[in-house]
Amino acid sequence: MGNSIELKQARIARRSRFFKKGVIIAVGSGMLYGVYVAALYGATGNGFWLDWYGYGDTVTAGWYDNVVDPTMGGIAMSFVIAVLILGALGSGINDFISAIWMIGKTAVKGKFMDYLRCFASKPGAVMVLCALIGGPIASTAFLIALIMAGPIATPISALCPAIGAIIGRIVFKQQLNFRMAIGIVICVVATFMIGSTAFTGFEITDPMFLAGLAVALISALGWGIEGAIAGFGTSVIDYEISISIRQLTAGFFTLFILTPALFLMAGAVGLYPTMLFEALQGQIMVDGLLASPLVWFLISGLAAGLSFGFWYKGNSMCGAALGMACNGGFSFWCPFFSFLVCGLYLGWEGFDLYPIQWVAAIVMVVGIFLIAVNPLELFKKNREV
Amino acid sequence: MLPLNYAILKLFVSGNELSVQGVIDKLDKDYRSFRAFKPKAINESLMSAEKNGLLEESNWELDDKGELHVYYKATSYGVEMISSYIK
Repeated sequence: MGNSIELKQARIARRSRFFKKGVIIAVGSGMLYGVYVAALYGATGNGFWLDWYGYGDTVTAGWYDNVVDPTMGGIAMSFVIAVLILGALGSGINDFISAIWMIGKTAVKGKFMDYLRCFASKPGAVMVLCALIGGPIASTAFLIALIMAGPIATPISALCPAIGAIIGRIVFKQQLNFRMAIGIVICVVATFMIGSTAFTGFEITDPMFLAGLAVALISALGWGIEGAIAGFGTSVIDYEISISIRQLTAGFFTLFILTPALFLMAGAVGLYPTMLFEALQGQIMVDGLLASPLVWFLISGLAAGLSFGFWYKGNSMCGAALGMACNGGFSFWCPFFSFLVCGLYLGWEGFDLYPIQWVAAIVMVVGIFLIAVNPLELFKKNREV
Repeated sequence: MLPLNYAILKLFVSGNELSVQGVIDKLDKDYRSFRAFKPKAINESLMSAEKNGLLEESNWELDDKGELHVYYKATSYGVEMISSYIK
């Protein structure tokens, strides 16, 4: 009997350790996402990016208020194409540098040959597809949605945990009950609260605005599909190998196919190699502050690789519903780290944190808690004790 | 040669019921030199596969030192998925 109690306790302890580790990894993925975004602001707010974004001598506003200079390199192009080019260039460089970091990590850990073997396998092909859906396709849709609908695109795209959970339930038979669904809804509401500080006057009947919302949903769908499928895929492929495949695919496609295609559409393909080179140029330090886009990209690429890797691993350890909800904290960590890095360290304006964002973070924790744990069971346990 | 994780999952398709130690015994000859071929990493890999419905616990026991050994077998869904994805 004593032995059976010990056995039961050992099994509970083992499961509990695995569960806690999964939650910590998934929450960490959201935090690292915030670091990645803040460092990406650092990269694209220095060097030649200052001129391209039309900041002038000082950066005075955040991403949403950017005024893109549509005469980049002296070639006039449409505002939309100019925004897409800069977005694709920034995320392509980031993902490609991230891939170098992550492939290096697999090599250091003795997994490089496995990386090559996985790339050439069926699960590897699924990862490549996931990377294309979640990388260039969802990211470009997100940028277009920002242009068409404004900042409301951010919380719409953050519907991805809900979509991921539904896909996890239907395709992979993962658990999704009423309590978890309520938790996901609470997390989505919290994301809306965080994004609400950036809402400006918009016309709900404006067709451009409504189309923008639809495009934002495409990005949510893309990230939802990626999170659910890649999370499952990570139970087959080692997560460090998965993420190396993801970043190389997304980086290569965005930087060497999508970006030149956009330059071609703008009738300025000759500008591509010049801007690719200039995007990394800049003094290391200006006024005692880190100003080199290359160094900022090295930081953002590392944080992005670790963040996406933890996202995949967290989803595989917790299931898509809980994993993506924990990761969804990025909607708080992005403004939080942007405030620390861009607001406090670099002294840029437009990166303030608002009280509602802190409140929303607490609401989100409640939502995540509800997905993870049945409060009635906790209550029962306390009574048993 | 299969990637380590594929080789671990493939062991279960033929109906094997294995613990972490069982996996190590079966793959030691080919994968001993792999840096990721460690009990902790293999344990995590088995638990992730269980979380995603590929494997399920079939038995468990405590050894003389009080260490827990959990045995896994593939679910019918797992056999189907592993067979179709890992050739």
